[in-house]
Amino acid sequence: MSEATPRITAPYLESFSGKVVRITGKVIQLRGENATIDAGGHISISVPKDAHLAKDHAVELVGKVSPDLTVRVLTATDLGMGIDFAAVDAVVDATHRYKEIFYGEESGY
Amino acid sequence: MERKEEQAVVASSLEIQVRAQVLEEVYDRSKDTLRPVTIKQINEAPPSAQEGDFKIDDTEISQLTFVGQIRNISTQATNVTYKLDDGTGTIEVKQWVDADATTPFGEADNSGKKKLAENKYARVYGKLKSFNNKRHVGATIIRPVTDYNEVSYHLLEATAVHLHYTRGPLNGGQKSTGTNGTYDAQAGTNMNMASGGQSMAGLSANAKKVFMCLSTSQQSNEGLHVQVIASETRMDPADVYKGGEDLLAAGMIYTTVDDSTWALLEI
Repeated sequence: MSEATPRITAPYLESFSGKVVRITGKVIQLRGENATIDAGGHISISVPKDAHLAKDHAVELVGKVSPDLTVRVLTATDLGMGIDFAAVDAVVDATHRYKEIFYGEESGY
Repeated sequence: MERKEEQAVVASSLEIQVRAQVLEEVYDRSKDTLRPVTIKQINEAPPSAQEGDFKIDDTEISQLTFVGQIRNISTQATNVTYKLDDGTGTIEVKQWVDADATTPFGEADNSGKKKLAENKYARVYGKLKSFNNKRHVGATIIRPVTDYNEVSYHLLEATAVHLHYTRGPLNGGQKSTGTNGTYDAQAGTNMNMASGGQSMAGLSANAKKVFMCLSTSQQSNEGLHVQVIASETRMDPADVYKGGEDLLAAGMIYTTVDDSTWALLEI
């Protein structure tokens, strides 16, 4: 059962190539179906037409990491303003540090 | 008028005492927990020896709380089933439809339900159930998450609790309020600060001794009997009673199996 979509930031993209992940970031630039978000570094994303992104708003994406490390977005949720990115980063850190409760095979703790 | 209020206060405090005692007798309090978890933890929780119960990190679980994005809502005659996804897995959450709900929360609940929509985050409080080997959570409360920071908060809280159970409580007096095992290290600094930050200033010497004994001695959920405290502290039982009364009045300890057995009231 691997329905998990691990929360990651830009530095993790490479190790999650080909996987479906969850990214919370801030929308930097919008260019039609492409956009750039900041989540521990810039990430280029392609968004479905029905996704409503707003510049400077925080957004949570579920998407697939392509081999060129861009992200093809499946769903996008607008989170508005007022998101504590320090907390978001702490969650990403915890996700990979204590992954037994977040993703991957059942752990042997 | 004044007398009426007084009676009401007496009645309600009596009621609280009676209720506390009833609860004490029926349940093992250590199992009455509300634990923040991830959905992966729920799905992987092994069943415990007792039928219908589950364990997470080797600890029996009872009430759970978690957050998740609503993937699907299916409304049936008797219940509403939500499929929740928190990034660590998915699980079905069922809330029974109470046709004649007259609870004071009834209205607030209904207004909340309108905001529970697909792709929105929700917070659930409930219990893990297994039916035909398929797991679901029977929700007492499901409400929309209006501030996304709650999602970050929850995941960090679940991590902290997981680490508490797998690696033991935090040591070193940083923020520990004294879970079993940290008392000795804390005893010195706890002299003037009861756990939870209550001040021990203004308490009698007897009360302080009894409190220190209760916070440093090995004990079960039932706490300690007066005789045990008396022998541990080498105090006269009458003094132990006096100290205990002060602590009871201050709300720092409570009676457990009988009037002479006390445990710390930790908040």
